[in-house]
Amino acid sequence: MSKIEEVRTNVENGKTKLVPGLVQDALDDGNSAMDILQAMVDGMGVVGDRFSTGEIFVPEMLIAAKAMSKGVDVLKPHLSGDASASLGTCVIGTVQGDLHDIGKNLVAMMVESAGFEMIDLGVDVPPAKFIEAVKENTGVKLVACSGLLSTTMPAMKVTVAALKALDMTGFKVLVGGAPITQEFATEIGADAYAPDAGSAAVVAKELVAAA
Amino acid sequence: MLTKRQNLMETIKGGNPDRFVNQYEFLEIILEAPLRSRPSLGETITNEWGVTMAWPEGQLGPFPVHDEKHLAIKDVTKWREKIQCPSVEFSDERWAPAIEHANSVDRQDQFVTVFFASGTFEMTHFLMGMEDAMMNLYEEPDHMHDLIDFLTDYEMRYAEQIIERIKPDALFHHDDWGSQTASLLSPQMFREFFLEPYKKVYSFWKDSGVELIVHHSDSYAANLVPSMIEMGIDIWQGVMTTNNTPELIKEYGPQISFMGEIDSGPLDHQDWDAKVIAEHVEKACTTCGKHYFVPCLTQGLNFSSFPGVYDAATKAIDEMSKKMF
Repeated sequence: MSKIEEVRTNVENGKTKLVPGLVQDALDDGNSAMDILQAMVDGMGVVGDRFSTGEIFVPEMLIAAKAMSKGVDVLKPHLSGDASASLGTCVIGTVQGDLHDIGKNLVAMMVESAGFEMIDLGVDVPPAKFIEAVKENTGVKLVACSGLLSTTMPAMKVTVAALKALDMTGFKVLVGGAPITQEFATEIGADAYAPDAGSAAVVAKELVAAA
Repeated sequence: MLTKRQNLMETIKGGNPDRFVNQYEFLEIILEAPLRSRPSLGETITNEWGVTMAWPEGQLGPFPVHDEKHLAIKDVTKWREKIQCPSVEFSDERWAPAIEHANSVDRQDQFVTVFFASGTFEMTHFLMGMEDAMMNLYEEPDHMHDLIDFLTDYEMRYAEQIIERIKPDALFHHDDWGSQTASLLSPQMFREFFLEPYKKVYSFWKDSGVELIVHHSDSYAANLVPSMIEMGIDIWQGVMTTNNTPELIKEYGPQISFMGEIDSGPLDHQDWDAKVIAEHVEKACTTCGKHYFVPCLTQGLNFSSFPGVYDAATKAIDEMSKKMF
């Protein structure tokens, strides 16, 4: 197994203590920081797929993301800081009136692992705060709105409408959460829906690629 | 006509029930019993465990606050320095309303039931946040085992008190183990950390006279049913349609019963519709059948978030009993 394949496999398996050393080994072996980063991104893609199919669960996904995060820490000084390395900025938040965060946090983690810069607005986020984040941050390609409660679906509808009413293009709106369906997402004018964190990362990349 | 208690026993033993058990009718839950502090609507409090709970206006219930300032446990290796076990001693005055309520119940008709929340798994993430609670199972397993044992011990000491005062027939125990579509932990990890503690505590309740353990988890948790059986759960309340409940009944029926299959999410909202509720009830009853199954809204406790929904489900279940029995 090559050094890069070792990095990818150990990210997939959540080996937080091994990944930093393996990343350094891969760098020492002459691999580029970007290639190593892509290997970790690919590894997290596998993790997302396994989560979506029920092969792994929340702890395994979290620990894999942590392993990648530790690997990225080793890579950072070697990355050029070139904006093209990123797929763009994703603004994410749980909509107004809803305090649930684990689903939103898992999506943020997976979308970041896929190559996005994340702006996490937290929970109970009013529409105005989503709009402010889109206006004040450069390179926003995606706004992701999460809601767990059926009682906060109206807030999601209002948020998506407010985002769509902005006189700005260049970003797509992705929605998700327990009561959300593709039908509801279409009804409120969202660009996409994802049923879980694993598929959210896949959908995020597809949305940006299609734009 | 069988009493509610008799009818429940016939249902879960595979005997001869004469109607569907209608949601929580067989349980008289003594909610007056002292337990932990809870915020009122619009309030934020820090409870006896050091967990900050907020209940915003317009929301269905309270939720833990887990920003950096409010985490009760930030470093699980130091949990013993941070957590004080709440007292399980309450005055006679605090117990009086609960004892009066319990004494008013006809125990031939219903099970006098005590309510315990939050269960051990929930407590781990209430104390330290979901992400840390999950990751620490991998990164600090010994500390997590110790914390779980501590929480289990607290529950048994609380159980001693309430059993002495109330002498319950049944326990309604709250601990959500999954989301709508998946368990939060793999079955293997669940067994490693939570099976033995739950076996211990549920055995304690039963050895102390509790006849029926009803465990609430309004989620997917089909993959945890073998563990539920092993730890002594008699009825899993909150079983959502995502679990393929008819198959669970077929496979596990005599060993455990299932209470739910009427998902609260699509039904319990501002614009609820009795006709839609009746459709969901009919589907639940016809697909799950008369044994090892109690049709019930999946939400915990015997009420709905929006007034009228629980009663509409009750009425629809009565109609199904007339049709099917």
